[in-house]
Amino acid sequence: MAEMTRYERIMTASRKNRADKLPFFHFWRHSQIGWAERECRNRGMGMCWVRPPYIQKMHDVEMTEKQVVDSGVNVLRRTYTTPVGSIWCDEKRARGTEQWHALRSWDDIAPWQTQRLIKGPEDYKVLKYMVENTEYIADYYPIEQAMDWLGDDGVVIDALPHSPMQMLMIDWIGSEGGRFYIHHAKYPDLVEELYQAVSKNRDAMYEIAAKSPAPVTACGDNVDGVLVNPRLFEKYFMPEYEKEAKLIHDQGKLMCVHMDGRIGNIKHLVAKTPIDIIEALHAPPMGDLPIGEALSLFKDKVIWTGYPGSVYTLGPEAVKKHALDLLRDVLPGDRLVFEVSTENIVSNENMRMLTSVLENATLPLTTEKIDEIERSLS
Amino acid sequence: MTEKQYLAALKQGIINLDFEAVKKTAKEAMEAGIDPSTAITEGMVPGMAVVGQKFESGEYFLSELVVAGEVMKEGVEVINPYIKATESTKPQKVKAVLASVEGDNHDLGKNIVGTLLGVQGFEVIDLGMDVPADRIVAAVKENNPVVLGLSALLTMTMPKMGEVIEALKAAGLRDKVKVIVGGTPVTGEFAESIGADHRAANALEGVQKCTEWAKAEERR
Repeated sequence: MAEMTRYERIMTASRKNRADKLPFFHFWRHSQIGWAERECRNRGMGMCWVRPPYIQKMHDVEMTEKQVVDSGVNVLRRTYTTPVGSIWCDEKRARGTEQWHALRSWDDIAPWQTQRLIKGPEDYKVLKYMVENTEYIADYYPIEQAMDWLGDDGVVIDALPHSPMQMLMIDWIGSEGGRFYIHHAKYPDLVEELYQAVSKNRDAMYEIAAKSPAPVTACGDNVDGVLVNPRLFEKYFMPEYEKEAKLIHDQGKLMCVHMDGRIGNIKHLVAKTPIDIIEALHAPPMGDLPIGEALSLFKDKVIWTGYPGSVYTLGPEAVKKHALDLLRDVLPGDRLVFEVSTENIVSNENMRMLTSVLENATLPLTTEKIDEIERSLS
Repeated sequence: MTEKQYLAALKQGIINLDFEAVKKTAKEAMEAGIDPSTAITEGMVPGMAVVGQKFESGEYFLSELVVAGEVMKEGVEVINPYIKATESTKPQKVKAVLASVEGDNHDLGKNIVGTLLGVQGFEVIDLGMDVPADRIVAAVKENNPVVLGLSALLTMTMPKMGEVIEALKAAGLRDKVKVIVGGTPVTGEFAESIGADHRAANALEGVQKCTEWAKAEERR
């Protein structure tokens, strides 16, 4: 049998069939381009592009930006003016932002908001107006372009923003100082109304994503069971996933959700969702759910596991040990794809070590095969 | 209402996460001449302790813990104008300085630790997020805390914890304060490698360690 391409490997495993080897890939934006990256790709490392399937337009909303100094720090203040009022947010940017790509700094850090759009109860109606006046228009060019560039060397996936309640939690109200929880307790009606408005507005976006040529749709989110407790997950996240999954599955595509945090306390709820791929699930020490246990628990799902950044900080030998331990935990290695990183750029030494472990991980994995990989690296 | 009833109502208001009930009861208690410190330490703090137990047992989540802390904060704001006159008679509290290190704009874990330390009787000096090492060192120098708690959620910002410890050494303060580090990516190995005294596995365990240190300090 001919060796599978990187695309075939990733998608075969993602559709719960057995690939020839354990698939592994790097996200384009986390990957430095150079000799080590070439070496790792020659070992079988695929690439993954994450691109949006739509553009959005806000009607009757004026947006202005200016640089201001807040508490001695230069920030970019963005103000949205609507017929029902104005709201603003401040954004701090690390060095290199606007000089590289996608508003990333030289260290691959996205700008972060020091002031959120929603500060008090009076801001909700303005944001609700903005949401209700946002239109989504299909634009598959970025996906088609990346698919053309990548060919069989990896996979292109649709990128959607955080799901409605996470937009409130992470982007608009923010979790700093527990602000989202406090708003949710003090202004439950305002939070609920805005959530409902976003959820309704998203239907058009989901339909566009479902029909894009990408084989997988990443339904935003950044789920962590500490921030998203079981009650919130059940009430606000699961119904949204049901809605998205129906549209995506009708088109024969797969749905993935980024869950790189500690999800132990919501694992039984996650198991009930229609999500096909749990993306970026981190093994301990960063996560709290061993990958082997997750595979047993999520029998109808595939895991794209994110390699823990905290192990990378310990150097190549620690990476080797952790990767080998992880392989021993997931025998025979089905329904699993390795992501080299979901968090930041990986050093040449660490990336070479990880890929040197994974390049010979033929499926089905056995203890003997893993022992042999270990011997070959010692 | 008797003093006992006011204290019970404050406690229950905290447990129920009821902003309005706590503020109303606090106001009425002050107008009825209840001692402000008693209202806080024997009314609200026991309520927070119950919330902490419920959090530990899994009945309450982080959200409830955060909201309870905010309910208490708003209740204390009502009482504060009454407490100032007696402030000088209060026993001095053990101090803890907390910060999310430079470049890190996450504070949920740190805030939970701060809330729980407050319940345990610490005076918490929270420096906030994205705090440079020199500001942390200055706060340690100024406040002479028993504990310095450093938080990071990103592997990219974790090394800043080591820089803070080095800066403490350079300032001659390292031996004067216990350093506890925490955050999702922070491992025991990493904590050891940068010379921290302890890595908090979670907020509750971290606070337990701080309390041990505070007790040892009191015995001195």
